[in-house]
Amino acid sequence: MKKFVSLLFATTLVFSIACGKGKEASKEDQGEDDETQTATVATNTASTAPAAAAPAAAVSADAATLTGMVKFEGAAPKMASIQMSADPYCQSQHGSAPAMEEDAVVGSAGELANVFVYIKDIKGNFPAPTTPVTIEQKGCQYHPHVNAVMVGQPLDIKNDDNTLHNIHALPAVNSQFNEGQPVQGMVSTKKLDKAEMTPFKIKCDVHGWMKSYMAVMPHPFYAVSQTNGTFTIPNLPPGSYTVVAWHEKYGQQEQKVTVGAKESKALSFTFKG
Amino acid sequence: MKPQEPIPHNYSIRRLNMIFALSSLVLLAVTGLMVGYDYIRGWKWFQLEFMRMQQERISQEIGVAQAEENKQQLADLDAQDRKNEIELARHRDQYLSAQKELDAIEGDHYRADQDYRFVKANLDAQRYITEAAVVQHLPDAPQQQAEFERQTKHLADLQLTLQESTRKRDAAKANVDQWLKKIKDAEDKKKELTASVDLLNKQLGTVDMKPFSTNWILSQPLLDFVNPVIKIDQVVLNDLSIDMNYMSVPRVDRCQTCHRAIDTPGWESKTEAARLSKELQQKLDAYQIPQEKRKETEERIAQLKRIQDAPNDILNPWRTHPKLDLYVGSASVHPLLEYGCTVCHRGQDRATEFGRAGHTPASPRMEHRWAERTALSAGFFPLPRDFEQRHWGYEENEFIETPMYPRHYYEAGCIKCHSGQMGVDRGDDITKAEQTIEIYGCYACHKIANWRFTDLRKPGPDLGGIAEKTTPEWAFRWISEPHNFRATTRMPSFFYQRNMIDPNVVPPQERAHNVKLQDAEIHAIVSFLFDKSTHRPWSPPGAGDAARGKQLVGSVGCMGCHIDTEQVKDEKTGQIRLAKREDFPLERNYGFNLTGVGTKANPAWIYNWVKNPKAYYADAPMPSLRLTDQEAADVTAYLVTMQKPAFMNTPIRPPDAQAVHDLAKGYLINTLSDVEAEAKLRSMTQHDQLVYLGQRSIEKYGCYSCHNIKGFEGLKPIGTELTVEGSKALHLFDFGFMNDEQWKNEDGTTEHVIHTVPSWVYNKLRNPRIYDDRRTKVYNDKLKMPNFHLSPEEARRIAMVVVGLTKEKVAENRMAGRDARTRLIEEGRKRVSQHNCRACHVVDGRGRDSIASTIADANFLPPDLSPEGARAQSPFLFNFLKDPTVMKIRPWVSVRMPTFHFSDEEANTLVTFFAEAGKGQQFETSRGMNPPAQNVAIGKQVFTMMRCTQCHGTTPVNPENPPVPNTADSTSLAPNLTLARMRLRHEWISDWIRRPNEMINGTRMPTNFPRDAATGGFQSPLAMAIDTPPFAQYKATLLPLFNGDEKELKRTMGDAVALTDYLRDYIWSIGITQMRTAAPGETVPAIAMPQPSLPPPTAPALKSTRNQRGAAGNSGGPGR
Ligand SMILES: [Cu+2]
Repeated sequence: MKKFVSLLFATTLVFSIACGKGKEASKEDQGEDDETQTATVATNTASTAPAAAAPAAAVSADAATLTGMVKFEGAAPKMASIQMSADPYCQSQHGSAPAMEEDAVVGSAGELANVFVYIKDIKGNFPAPTTPVTIEQKGCQYHPHVNAVMVGQPLDIKNDDNTLHNIHALPAVNSQFNEGQPVQGMVSTKKLDKAEMTPFKIKCDVHGWMKSYMAVMPHPFYAVSQTNGTFTIPNLPPGSYTVVAWHEKYGQQEQKVTVGAKESKALSFTFKG
Repeated sequence: MKPQEPIPHNYSIRRLNMIFALSSLVLLAVTGLMVGYDYIRGWKWFQLEFMRMQQERISQEIGVAQAEENKQQLADLDAQDRKNEIELARHRDQYLSAQKELDAIEGDHYRADQDYRFVKANLDAQRYITEAAVVQHLPDAPQQQAEFERQTKHLADLQLTLQESTRKRDAAKANVDQWLKKIKDAEDKKKELTASVDLLNKQLGTVDMKPFSTNWILSQPLLDFVNPVIKIDQVVLNDLSIDMNYMSVPRVDRCQTCHRAIDTPGWESKTEAARLSKELQQKLDAYQIPQEKRKETEERIAQLKRIQDAPNDILNPWRTHPKLDLYVGSASVHPLLEYGCTVCHRGQDRATEFGRAGHTPASPRMEHRWAERTALSAGFFPLPRDFEQRHWGYEENEFIETPMYPRHYYEAGCIKCHSGQMGVDRGDDITKAEQTIEIYGCYACHKIANWRFTDLRKPGPDLGGIAEKTTPEWAFRWISEPHNFRATTRMPSFFYQRNMIDPNVVPPQERAHNVKLQDAEIHAIVSFLFDKSTHRPWSPPGAGDAARGKQLVGSVGCMGCHIDTEQVKDEKTGQIRLAKREDFPLERNYGFNLTGVGTKANPAWIYNWVKNPKAYYADAPMPSLRLTDQEAADVTAYLVTMQKPAFMNTPIRPPDAQAVHDLAKGYLINTLSDVEAEAKLRSMTQHDQLVYLGQRSIEKYGCYSCHNIKGFEGLKPIGTELTVEGSKALHLFDFGFMNDEQWKNEDGTTEHVIHTVPSWVYNKLRNPRIYDDRRTKVYNDKLKMPNFHLSPEEARRIAMVVVGLTKEKVAENRMAGRDARTRLIEEGRKRVSQHNCRACHVVDGRGRDSIASTIADANFLPPDLSPEGARAQSPFLFNFLKDPTVMKIRPWVSVRMPTFHFSDEEANTLVTFFAEAGKGQQFETSRGMNPPAQNVAIGKQVFTMMRCTQCHGTTPVNPENPPVPNTADSTSLAPNLTLARMRLRHEWISDWIRRPNEMINGTRMPTNFPRDAATGGFQSPLAMAIDTPPFAQYKATLLPLFNGDEKELKRTMGDAVALTDYLRDYIWSIGITQMRTAAPGETVPAIAMPQPSLPPPTAPALKSTRNQRGAAGNSGGPGR
């Protein structure tokens, strides 16, 4: 009897001690129940953080400037003229000289325009300007052809034509929209709330030739190359960055760059046909 | 009294006492053991452990509150609290003095009130006396009169005093109330300041198990019988009963006894927390969460983030259910209290021990860890020490009737209640699994008496005319190994499989013999099929242009159901490799892979098949794309170029005479004696022997289950019925020597069989012959199930459905989708699946991936049919389904809606499905509506102002053959609106104009009335425009239509709903009202059978005599 009681007591004791102890399962054991669960952890990169409400990134005295030149190597592609006969209005807007395609605008010395150049990997919060960026539809073409807004910055889309356009935006990250603009002079204002650094297409379904590209940036360090192939990214805080140059037809390239305080650095990109 | 004689005993009292004492001791010991056993029951440990975890969590939360960065805040709170206290004390003083004052004033007031009342009473008396004196002309009347006036005056004075007093009293009372309120506010504030800490402390109290805490004392042995802290949790489900053979008992789920946090958010695993927080964040970002829930959601995300950042992952069994929004959660469709756990997961509902509850491991590693024991507990039940090592005490138990579904098979549990549905909403896995079964045609060989898998067509083509299509040489090589011809084929491999020729499994002597027997069987099957085949003469194609044919195949819609390549680029390695079925959308595997079709079939057959598949056999699943003769010739020219010459180079061994003889004899002696059989065989030519053996082999392998073969009609399918396979007991599965064994599959992967039903089924599907490994069986007894070369994922999916097919019955009211309306919808969905509509259309929000993978521009895809029910008029849809040539809506689209030759019944089923699923009326009378002329006139102006004409045609065209709009670019714009009245539902038109993108995301139809971001209302661009000079002429035209009321005109121009209704009325007014009705249920033009015989192509190895041509015509039976 006594033995029994003590046995019972012992078991109880073992039990209560065991209960009081923490888990001791080994590390490799812990994962096992998850053998095939593949859900990945959401990585919240700075690029998705809204730029608003951040301390204004005042232009520091040390700010550097990035300039550069985009060239096209090889025989410059000949851009076809756009057949606008489907809409007589459009055609009438280009009476003397027909409008040309803008897939690749190459200058006489190989300067490549409409290349979107931006810093890929800059961290920090940059407030979006409240002044809107404007895209105009004029003569049944988009002006400018390549453009960008900052996250949350208003985007005004204006129809200068006396014809119907619809702005059909096809972003990959932001939500797509498609609005008709039947009235001349009409302006639609849009706000894009997520960063989308690779430009997406904006098209008009009424005029199949109409297309334009738009990026949504989390920071203000971007530029579009001019017809003379140059671009300038001012007010850049000193540091090491990856610079991306994107072209709608020739893809994108990257370069690493390090800028010191007040430095002005020149880059050059070359696209091949 | 005479002393009584002691009663003689046959037993000794002393011994009895001893026995009694001993048995008492034994009883006590047993009782003690029972108490002890009960005290250390395994499940209690899980509760204690969870309490410990909770305690840790709460302490942590308190810790967080006291963390460094919160110190300041806490100090502030403290200061505020102190200030509050002081204020409270001061308020109390104020209150007390105010109350005292009030008491004094109340006294004054009372006195004044009393005085007033007395004097008033006296005055009333005096009034009477005075009146009486005046009336009776008494002498003292003047005195009385004076007295009355004096008293009246006195009363007025007193009243003033009273009023003053009342005012004072009310003021004092208000003063008191004010202090009272201040006190209450201060107290509330104090409570608030300490509330969260109080709450946490209270929670901590309930989970505190420290020695000598209340909980601890209540949990001591024997004391725990009174009011236990640790106790079994159960859910009783009366109408989800368990069938205990002839008796139903309620289900009593006790899972929560150990799975403590299953319905409590906050105990997710890290991976789950990551998935959930990402999902919620996306919803939050997309504004899919209502305003009032946003804060709640943000808090939940923060909680999930904390879980991800915690040092330790929460382990089972203490985790939260990963899909609380769908199961277990009280707001979900399957709340815990109504559905419990075992209805879906299975398992033994009442069990509280791990092993007995029916937990089933998913992998050998899991099984071994679960089953491992520390030395102490071996043979008994697990000890806390085991639990800590996560050795739960698993034991194989063949007698558990309903073992749980292991991980990866969870959605098998859906079938029980959802078997009347084609897909389970948010049950993507099970939906896809059932679709996989449908596409592989498992139901053809294995009867599955379940609505989902009945009334389906045979998966393979009719073989009645095989000689018209191909050659015996091709057929031989094809049957030998279909995968050598096409890597993606669904025709399984019957021959030269693991249990016949694998050198690791079969001894060399037997192998050589088996090869001979297998050769003989294939030759026999080919001989039989070609012997019985019809030989209809198919007209040869004219000259075709292969390039044009290729373009047609790529554009008219063939690629919805077919694949035309076997080479794909591997996404991981970037290398070109042989394609697998899974590289393509499921729907694209519906038709066969077109590669090598030129090697397989002759041009005449291809030409006639693409022109009209139903002519070859009436039950052909391929619809007609209405190719013209020239188009068909072009397509044929292209398909003929798809050659696989290497396939035809593999040598064919001639049939071994002895093997044919032996096999045929094996069948003959079932009914004949040995001598008779020999005699019979001697009387047969080798060809006859082959044909005889062929028939027997087709029976043996069950070819007729999937293919229509003449002479085998009405035979039962070859395979085991699977209707209740999931309920079959574990010991009825023949594992052979493969229990807990590894084996290497032909694709190089290593599989491992563990002793569970899902594992058996899975491995069987991966290689149907493995359970013959190391067994000695005679040739005809060896396993025959063919090898489908299923990928692990496909095998898992199919196995999941198989284990989900159980005999467990659920009360009718718990079955999903059993109302009449849903049944109609589901019947339609079955047709949608059978005819592979999702290859080209989005139906119920799913599909179109197949065709979209070959057509880049989304605008040239076949339509999204999600809104079809609300959109299309039923009569139009019926006619269009029967005969798509009745109306061309987008004539510029090159993909063609095929003609399926639907029967009226089938077309009706589909129309009903669309109407019901779209919540539209099946029949409506809108077509006859005539909108008022005024509306039409206004609508016409709006139509012009909105520039609708820029894309839509408004002049009547021939609906069957409208001209393709002549635009400079290749794209075309929008449907001609004169067709709308015949096609669209009246109300839908205006709704569509208002919100096209909401109905079909990505549509080319622009949103002309965008929603106001703040109010959600529609905005109209005409509201402002109407006053601008360019619109002056419209205004002038419109004004008279509004009776000159400019204000009303302007209001209307801003009213999107009114404008779209006017637009609709205008569109209605220009609509045509006549349309060709569908050609009546087309009968398939059967090709007349000529009597003169054509020599069938024969191979040297298959030297056969001229065979009699079988009965003419179409051997394809009605089939359904
Ligand atoms: Cu346009």
